[in-house]
Amino acid sequence: MEAVYIHIPFCNKICSYCDFPKVLHIDSFVDEYLSALQREIEWCYDGERITSIYVGGGSPSSLTKKERIKLFRILEIFNRTPDCEYTFEINPQDIDESLLDDIVAGGVNRVSIGIESFDPDNLSILEREADFKDIEAKLKLLRNRGIININLDLMYAIPGEKISTLKKDISKLLKLEPTHISTYSLIIEDHTKLKINDTQYISEDIDRRMYDTICDKLERNGFEHYEVSNFAKPGYRSRHNLNYWNNGEYYGFGLGAAGYKDAFRYENTKNLHEYIAHNFRLTENLLTYKDQMDNELMLGLRKLEGIDVKEFLIKYGQKIEDVYPIKELIEKKDLIYKDNHLYINPNKIYVMNEILLKLL
Amino acid sequence: MDREHIRNFSIIAHIDHGKSTLADRILELTGAVDKHDMKDQLLDNMDLERERGITIKLNAVELKYRYNNEEYILHLIDTPGHVDFSYEVSRSLAACEGAILIVDAAQGIEAQTLANLYLALNNDLIIIPVINKIDLPNADIPKVKNELINILGFREEDIILCSGKTGEGVKDLLDAIITRITPPKKSDTTETKALIFDSYFDSYRGVIASVRIFSGEIRKGERIKMMATNAEYEVVELGVLTPKVKTLDRLVEGQVGWINASIKTIDTVKVGDTITTVKNAAKEPLPGYQPMKPMVYSGLFPVEPNKFEPLKEALEKLKLNDASLVFEPETSEALGFGFRCGFLGLLHMEIIEERITREFGIDIIATSPSVIYEVLLTNGDQIYVDSPTKMPDRAKIAEIREPFITTNIFVPAEYIGAIMELCQDKRGIYKSIDYIDENRVNIHYDLPLSEIVYDFFDRLKSSTKGYASFDYELIGYKAQDLVKMDILINGETVDALSLIVHRDFAYQRGKKIVSNLKDIIPRQLFLVPIQASIGSKVIARESISPMRKNVLAKCYGGDVSRKRKLLEKQKEGKKRMKMVGSVEVPPEAFLAVLKTEK
Repeated sequence: MEAVYIHIPFCNKICSYCDFPKVLHIDSFVDEYLSALQREIEWCYDGERITSIYVGGGSPSSLTKKERIKLFRILEIFNRTPDCEYTFEINPQDIDESLLDDIVAGGVNRVSIGIESFDPDNLSILEREADFKDIEAKLKLLRNRGIININLDLMYAIPGEKISTLKKDISKLLKLEPTHISTYSLIIEDHTKLKINDTQYISEDIDRRMYDTICDKLERNGFEHYEVSNFAKPGYRSRHNLNYWNNGEYYGFGLGAAGYKDAFRYENTKNLHEYIAHNFRLTENLLTYKDQMDNELMLGLRKLEGIDVKEFLIKYGQKIEDVYPIKELIEKKDLIYKDNHLYINPNKIYVMNEILLKLL
Repeated sequence: MDREHIRNFSIIAHIDHGKSTLADRILELTGAVDKHDMKDQLLDNMDLERERGITIKLNAVELKYRYNNEEYILHLIDTPGHVDFSYEVSRSLAACEGAILIVDAAQGIEAQTLANLYLALNNDLIIIPVINKIDLPNADIPKVKNELINILGFREEDIILCSGKTGEGVKDLLDAIITRITPPKKSDTTETKALIFDSYFDSYRGVIASVRIFSGEIRKGERIKMMATNAEYEVVELGVLTPKVKTLDRLVEGQVGWINASIKTIDTVKVGDTITTVKNAAKEPLPGYQPMKPMVYSGLFPVEPNKFEPLKEALEKLKLNDASLVFEPETSEALGFGFRCGFLGLLHMEIIEERITREFGIDIIATSPSVIYEVLLTNGDQIYVDSPTKMPDRAKIAEIREPFITTNIFVPAEYIGAIMELCQDKRGIYKSIDYIDENRVNIHYDLPLSEIVYDFFDRLKSSTKGYASFDYELIGYKAQDLVKMDILINGETVDALSLIVHRDFAYQRGKKIVSNLKDIIPRQLFLVPIQASIGSKVIARESISPMRKNVLAKCYGGDVSRKRKLLEKQKEGKKRMKMVGSVEVPPEAFLAVLKTEK
């Protein structure tokens, strides 16, 4: 056990596409919520050394100073390794000296900022704001405080978006010199404002062209494409997220958080009142051996370098080729087996579900 | 009950002319059913019949009616109205001495009225012409009377006016049944002979046979023999339908009823066979029926391969009371194991398919229907081909002949142009137009049956705003310039998609089919060409672009379980796909050949 996810479900504003558990920031709830969070952590955390913490949301940066200080005090409980990756999700609008004081004092060394787009049309559909100049200035403040590991989110395939719009977004993003870029095509999830308004997906062909554009541009600017939707400068891959894709175990604390420990996958309630009443768990499922292996495949093949076949053998006591019909797929060049790694043909990573369906 | 007081009759009518409602009224008036027990269209037993408002399977009920202070027994044997089921009609007519011909007071006579009337006349039945629905505000009684007199040759004084809805005139009709229809003929033998005109399978009691006793009698507990199969059984119970099940001690000459002899093997009871008793055995069976030859063939394949056996059982059970259904095992490279089935017509096919799905819970893929071709080979042999896949090599064929029909298309005169255009499109040969009155005509064309199978009804309906009524009669085979067209998906010929087309129409059809397939088959990981070809010559081509995206865009810690479920769901969706080479093809694709609208 090495990774911890903390969910802060409060926001000052709700985006049209968001399906994470979240509520508008109401002061009275936050304090009770943080107390419940503390209780959950105390009950469950077994004191292992922690190599990554990720505080996400919602908008963790929407907390007031007082709440923030309480949160960091709660998170002090974790036995962090000296090189622990400690990520905090931030809205650019929320960055000020006071926030920086607290996160630096709390030990945060990586920041993830959801920019998504700079294009006014895109932003209006997503119901978000992003001002390039402002963000540029805010990033400077971060770097001045020693936080140089910065992830920026980029969203594409937004209804009406053109390739030229995306190219502009990418250029601006690169100009901000992040160490990491997470990017994904818009998903119209159930119960989001977009879904309710019957928003339609952009065509499959344009979506793919956009993806190819992103991969091409980012790789040419020194980013390594290491997961379907993630790019990093050398040495800056997200340790926290890699743990997910390595099918590693992790704690998930907070409203709607999910965790994976001792072969159990669990999910917390998404009802704030239930959570505050300390009824944390919604479901708990013991995974069979096969489930674990299936997940290993579904997650591991998201990485461009794929699955370490020797580690698979050590972990499950079985050769991957004895469990899954990979031979045929290798012949068809859907999968590649090289240097003890099994990975998806990079040309087919964007249709990898089709390949997974043949394996699982 | 003596023979003189029995009347056996059926009702023949065009769809929607109110046959079932009138039958309900007769049941009510004869006290067979209490008014409060009445549910609409009592004779239509199957859900499918009630939903579609048509009668598929015949039904026989026994009614009591007093006339001149004497009690009579009436056997009402119901008949289906649609042309596809004229076989069923002939079966029921064989058990009758008379028929009521119903014509709608607003619609007048229609194509199917004619067909059924001719069948009744061929069976030497006494016909009572009835104008029904006289209560309708748009009823035109003088006009319909004229049609009956001028076109069908009835006498005015014989025509009975009635309304199944209000009950007006129904008593006159019942009286006419007694006075005009003759009692069953006295048989010239005392041997026991009962004609099986229908049968059905009851899961508790086994096979129940519907019979008309032509001579002798059958008693409960007696040993009976099926003359065609020599199988012997003991009668467990017998009786009539009133329409409730009523058990009796015996069925006598002239009576129509049912027999339960605890028969478990479906194929020993053949519709058209004669039942006799061991004690009073007949030497010769009754003439029986000529089963109609199936005209339309289609492959039926279970969507799930393990449903082959259940599909076989379903077909056997359906065949029990539908001797016209024929089937034999067929293997398709694309669809696996299934059955090549022969049907009387398209409606018959549709109904069988729907019953398999609905009553037996088996999902099936039906391949596009084909007619039966007469093929003259170069070596002088003549063979019959019921499936494009069975068409011999082109070099061995001297001539292909296909079945032709002649039409009765009843339509308001303003649609003559539309009908002629449609029939020309369908390779029709113009014969004549009869004027029924100044506004309505009966159009006669000779058409290849295969063109009727392919989208004729839909086009007829849309080009006449639904005003046309259509019926046809087979007239024989004609040699035509026909070719086999193959459909190739990713370079592989898909046997289940092959079809026979007229050479002049091949290009147009081929284009349509490949374009339909392009819309139906989802993208694959690779480019999939779809071609239509005659021999080795490709005449139409489309291609399906490779799939560009199928990925879980993001997948982090909180998503794992949900994304797994998403994948499981996609996998479930793939299960219904049929593999054609390495291409996943959805079942709907196999009917793409038929689709014309986009």
